[in-house]
Amino acid sequence: MTHTARLDRATAATLAAAALMAAAVALIFFYVPSDVDQGYSQRIFYFHVPIALTTYTLFAWGAVNAARYLWTGREDLDLKSYVPMHLGVIFGSLTLVTGSIWAHISWGTWWDWGSRELNTFLIIFLFYCAYFMLRFSVEPGARRSRYSAVYALLGVGLIPLSVLAVRIAQDALHPVVFRSNGVNMDGSMFFTFCVALAAMLSLALSMYLVEMRGKRLDERLAQLRRLAREAA
Amino acid sequence: MSARALRALVRKDLLVELRGREVVPSMAVFVGAAFVLFRFGLGGTDLAGGTRAATGMLWVAIVFTALVGLSRSFAHEREGRTWDGLLAAPVDRALFWAARTCSTFLFLAAVQAVALPAFWLFFLQEHAGPSYPVLIAAVLLADVGIACLGSLLAGLASSLRAREVLLPALYLPFSIPLVLTAVRVTTDTIPPQTGGFDTLGRLGFLALYDTVFALLGWALFEYVVED
Repeated sequence: MTHTARLDRATAATLAAAALMAAAVALIFFYVPSDVDQGYSQRIFYFHVPIALTTYTLFAWGAVNAARYLWTGREDLDLKSYVPMHLGVIFGSLTLVTGSIWAHISWGTWWDWGSRELNTFLIIFLFYCAYFMLRFSVEPGARRSRYSAVYALLGVGLIPLSVLAVRIAQDALHPVVFRSNGVNMDGSMFFTFCVALAAMLSLALSMYLVEMRGKRLDERLAQLRRLAREAA
Repeated sequence: MSARALRALVRKDLLVELRGREVVPSMAVFVGAAFVLFRFGLGGTDLAGGTRAATGMLWVAIVFTALVGLSRSFAHEREGRTWDGLLAAPVDRALFWAARTCSTFLFLAAVQAVALPAFWLFFLQEHAGPSYPVLIAAVLLADVGIACLGSLLAGLASSLRAREVLLPALYLPFSIPLVLTAVRVTTDTIPPQTGGFDTLGRLGFLALYDTVFALLGWALFEYVVED
């Protein structure tokens, strides 16, 4: 019964992600007007920023579950912490790639060391790559879960410090869209952005549910193999 | 009880180093060799990149020197199998982290007492002297940050097979905000640069970095220690 419910959730999330993604692509290419300054190429914004925000959400979700794991010691929370981190690195790679393409189109350079957001993201991305190095250096078990959770929580300290350090060390070049006094884009652009963000978040959710299901199946299979060996 | 235990643990680390002379001399030789290498790398006669490049090299060298020391941080306990004995002591486990942070800080400060004059001699001898209070404040604040986080990560890596490779990979992403800020503060101390209020803000950032990782180190070290 539980398995069926989980299967349904994953399928529903995948269908929602596919529908929202189709809507987002249609809005981006056929509805939203081109930006006055950057022209047609600015449309990459509707992919780049939602992917970046989804990455931050996944890392935050992973860190919350890491903290819950250390607090409660519940084994399933380790997997619930690892899977968002894993997806976060995939979305993070996409953020760096789309950011790099946008930088090339807008500023004529593939990477700009003066861009606060790109550089902050690069630091955070390096941190999460190190998380995987640590996780796969430890044998599966309680120690791996504990070490991974500790390192994931250190990231909670690193992210705001990186944002602050890059801000106080460098000059701004990256376009600022979200200001403290409101959003710097018109209604149709903001609507398209919201749909694109919802599409990326639902895509991440569906990938999370599918990967969790796969990992749980792996665990059950390993359990069955152990039982079969013992019985033999 | 806690203060006495902390003093005893720091004293133990210092005595082990005093008798073995393993960590501090290796760090000192490493940082000296790194300065020579960087000097030749940046041009033997003319310094390419000017003072900004030099201060950048200084902080990169400091971070790598700290890693040399941290890689041996829990080696004695591991090789001598004394960790279990230490854990049996009736003290808060976070105290082990605090003691290792103190000893790492002292080792790093001792190496820098030699390395900083050498740096000035190799890279900036034609400049007037730096603003000493700001430079010392920056170095000490950065050392606290390196020691707080480094001790936690060294503890994490110490029981793993690939610890020598893993520790730099785990630590270096955290060192980027610290190096970014410390380089700016150090550049501000060299005449005719004057940072003023900005420098104070950057020193404040280093203090914030120390506070964040001191709190996280204190809270998380018990999960790093083997049962």
